[in-house]
Amino acid sequence: MTKLQTLPAASGSSAGKNGKEGKSPRRRESPGSLAYSRSARIKGLVKHAILIIVGAVMIYPLLWMVVSSLRPNDLIFREPGLWLESLEMSNYTDGWSALTHPFGHYMINSAIVVLGSILGNLVSCSMAAYAFARLQFSGKKIFFGIMLLTIMLPFHVVIVPQYILFSQIGWVNTFWPLIVPKLLATDAFFVFLMVQFIRGIPKDLDEAARIDGAGHPRIFLRVILPLMVPALATTTIFTFIWTWNDFFGALIYLTDPDMFTVPVALRAFVDSQSATSWGSLFAMSIVSLLPVFLVFLFGQRFLIKGIATTGIK
Amino acid sequence: MSAIGELSTMTRRKGPMTKEEKKANGRDNKAAYIFLLPWLIGLVAITVGPMLMSLYLSFTDYNLLQPPEWVGLDNFIRMFGDARLHNSLRVTFTYVLVGVPLQLGVALLIALVLDKGLRGLPFYRSIFYLPSLLGGSVAVAILWKQIFGTTGLVNQVLAMVGIEGPGWISDPNTALGSIILLHVWTFGSPMIIFLAGLRQIPVMYYEAAKVDGATTLQQFWRITLPMLSPIIFFNLVLQIIGSFQSFTQAFIVSGGNGGPSDSTMFFTLYLYQKGFGQFDMGYASAMAWFLLVIIGAFTAINFIASKYWVFYDD
Amino acid sequence: MPVKPKGEAVAPAAASPSRPSTPKTKRKLRASALVAATAAAVLALTACGGGGGSEAKSADGKVELRFAWWGGDKRAQVTQAAIAAFEAENPNIKIKPEYGDWSGYWDKLATQVAANDAPDIIQMDEKYITEYSTRGALLDLSKYDIDTSKLDAAALDAGKGEKGLTGIAAGINAATILANPAVFQAAGVAIPDDKTWTWEDFERVSAEITAKSPKGTYGAAAYGTDEASLGVWLRQNGKSLYTQDGKLGFEPSDIAEWWAFLKQLSEKKSVPSASEVVEAEAAPLDQSGLATGKNGLAFWWSNQLPALEKAAGGELQILRFPSKTGKADDAKLWYKASQFWSASSRTKHPEETAKFIDFLTNNVKAGEALLADRGVYPNSEVRDAIAPKLAKADVKVVDFIAGIKEELGEAPAAPPKGAGAIQEIVKRYTSEVLFERLSTEEAGKKAVDEMKSAIS
Repeated sequence: MTKLQTLPAASGSSAGKNGKEGKSPRRRESPGSLAYSRSARIKGLVKHAILIIVGAVMIYPLLWMVVSSLRPNDLIFREPGLWLESLEMSNYTDGWSALTHPFGHYMINSAIVVLGSILGNLVSCSMAAYAFARLQFSGKKIFFGIMLLTIMLPFHVVIVPQYILFSQIGWVNTFWPLIVPKLLATDAFFVFLMVQFIRGIPKDLDEAARIDGAGHPRIFLRVILPLMVPALATTTIFTFIWTWNDFFGALIYLTDPDMFTVPVALRAFVDSQSATSWGSLFAMSIVSLLPVFLVFLFGQRFLIKGIATTGIK
Repeated sequence: MSAIGELSTMTRRKGPMTKEEKKANGRDNKAAYIFLLPWLIGLVAITVGPMLMSLYLSFTDYNLLQPPEWVGLDNFIRMFGDARLHNSLRVTFTYVLVGVPLQLGVALLIALVLDKGLRGLPFYRSIFYLPSLLGGSVAVAILWKQIFGTTGLVNQVLAMVGIEGPGWISDPNTALGSIILLHVWTFGSPMIIFLAGLRQIPVMYYEAAKVDGATTLQQFWRITLPMLSPIIFFNLVLQIIGSFQSFTQAFIVSGGNGGPSDSTMFFTLYLYQKGFGQFDMGYASAMAWFLLVIIGAFTAINFIASKYWVFYDD
Repeated sequence: MPVKPKGEAVAPAAASPSRPSTPKTKRKLRASALVAATAAAVLALTACGGGGGSEAKSADGKVELRFAWWGGDKRAQVTQAAIAAFEAENPNIKIKPEYGDWSGYWDKLATQVAANDAPDIIQMDEKYITEYSTRGALLDLSKYDIDTSKLDAAALDAGKGEKGLTGIAAGINAATILANPAVFQAAGVAIPDDKTWTWEDFERVSAEITAKSPKGTYGAAAYGTDEASLGVWLRQNGKSLYTQDGKLGFEPSDIAEWWAFLKQLSEKKSVPSASEVVEAEAAPLDQSGLATGKNGLAFWWSNQLPALEKAAGGELQILRFPSKTGKADDAKLWYKASQFWSASSRTKHPEETAKFIDFLTNNVKAGEALLADRGVYPNSEVRDAIAPKLAKADVKVVDFIAGIKEELGEAPAAPPKGAGAIQEIVKRYTSEVLFERLSTEEAGKKAVDEMKSAIS
């Protein structure tokens, strides 16, 4: 792009030299004169104020859910506000033990599926992405097109054929139909995501490594993977959340209540024809959100570990 | 596709490397297929079969309970005369054309604000991402009603200033709007991807620009936007695909019926209703392939257009 | 070849000058051939149909049956208790429960049937039973050893169709109007006598409540969210939802009249505004206007009373539908099977399956576990035996069902194939009418057209 030509072109050989610099906190606006910093401070305050207001609007519904989980069942839908008159912990204790198994049982089931899926997506998608982004091979365009195509078909129409397939293998009521596809990179979303990230990594870096005699496995493991930590973190977080929340797959393949994952178990509180234990439902929804939230809190620090912070280039 | 064409021409830009590369190309084939192996196995064993099966079913009358019967192009011809399908297309296109730019705009804006070495960044990022954690939870439907119902929060606030608001989710004129809002509300995922992409932009570009006296705005246009363009492109392509397939939100908020008066009857929701509700899986499969052609066309246009604005450093 | 359109679109871009000289077409062909071959193999594998369920007699001679139902956690608990009672009596049969919420249940069941992997015992609904039975998915239970002599005749007939007895009623329901006395009291209006009231009374009383209540409270909930209330209306006018030969039993003008009265109710503010009506449609039972004290009267099935009372936090009263004449005999109610017990036609163990259904239907122990969870017990002996154990709310329902026995109209025809779509059509056009996007006549015409094509 011509716009960038005014900038000094970085050469691959400089990689790693500024490693120390990268470790310092990453601030783009260097503090200037006193006047500048005062206006910057006001600007900052305004920014924070706006962010807090937007944030409050964003999470109000969630706060309502938390508050509702602490209310008696019959009050839940009469109170749109956040005021709590009493603290009702019984939703949590009742909800935890309302189903055949304690709720933790379903969380463990979910955790198994989630961990398998994350591992699968990280390994298989990054490998495929490396091939698509960096390697020349015959049939590349066709395969790339097919990969995109697999994202485009609405999943409802492949459910039945896929179910037939897995029931033929005898995998119904096991976690395999939920994990194995991830091991085989069928989540093309992540392949495409990683392709885009790898293509953002300067090619000089792997060419330098190639000149040093590194083969593809080595370039992949030593050069590309460390540089795409943000993409891997994104994949991990998304896979965690999407798999944790996946209802349909778990509904179809896991028929035995012993095998239920969290979203399916949560639906067991809902009875459209009779009474739904909303308090328990909300309470257990909050409980099931906790691991996801924790993973996000922990995982987000890796989102910012990119080229920028490792200081390469 | 053209991006790949571009990729292949770009890699060959540098004249002196050609010989080296040609040699490398020979080796690449084997390496590439090894790297692609899991994906290829998955494609052949899990993905392609069911896809072809659904293609076959689109030419049949299939009620799930009995074996499919070949009917040729009947399903596709029926689609021409199906007024509800046309309505669902209109709903879906509105959703895509309004919802996607809106959501990506908000996501990019917030990502840019958050990226600027802000204090409490992890806190804000978590807050903004929280709604996306909820996913397709049943609780979302309840939450949305509490806010946008006739006696919901929005109308209570409006009542304070003397305005009697409509039932946002139950009025056919505003129901789609409220679902688009729900979509925008969950801007967390593209925001995260933007943030991760922003972190990939080498700091030294900005430092160099500052030395040259570039303003913040100039830096945005000259550095951030071009450098982030592959990620913007990714988000755009995937959000368009995802929005065309949008299902869960409308399903949850409308209780699965796309109401009121079909005003939130998305294409996939209608497809699902046909397939599973009315046991017309042949027709549903035909609809799916029709949608695939639409999405494919949009994606192709995206890739062609990307030649003019997406910058790859390779 | 699904990959072809994309593949072709991609191909032109492949023309890069420095490519190795392998002929492009050949390469493309090879790739497509590979994909085609594998796809064909998978297709062949999947198309030949399932190899049957996984259940089989295990080494110790135990038979395992899969039993699927929809419902919440409370139903799961009582049903598991019934299963335990059965297993205690039949140590050689093991019942594996599979349960979930309503909408997921039907998606899953359709998928399982398609894959030849259906559960042995299936809880069925009136809406879908014809769908499944006419397509051969359900077992004719009359050929197996199930005692049906103690069942109410009407309830038993509901499970009969062209493929025999494919469902046995699990409970009896009636369409009712429930009244929330608290709302009546607050408005200072007396609850009308349901043995003599007419639709005019219904309109007048509910308009009065609305007028005398705080803003946002209405005398009655709107009808039009399902086909049951339409069914009652039609029956009172000498028509019916369906005819015995599986056609629609009414004309566009009949349903238009029904909507015209609803509009009249709406104009007099007897029922909530259009927006509120649509919201109420999607609302779960606990959030309904009746439960939250926002409606004085509402249309519900009789077996929903206990749950509604719990949600409302007070007693509710069951009323008969109003009639045109003010005579309870002309209300034309009927006994509806709340759910059915059905069996998969592909079950490997039809005898054991029948034995379990027989247990659920006729054994007092099953009755003691299930009580009134699925409606009033259709077996009169079991009903009497468990009467002392029923909760107060359940007793109310049982008494109501017994009380209307002499007033019932003739049993309605079973819903034909495709009837599952009717409710959605009714709902959709009701909101078209209430939002005044269509006149009642237009809506009637369009709705009837759609219904006809749905059940044809």
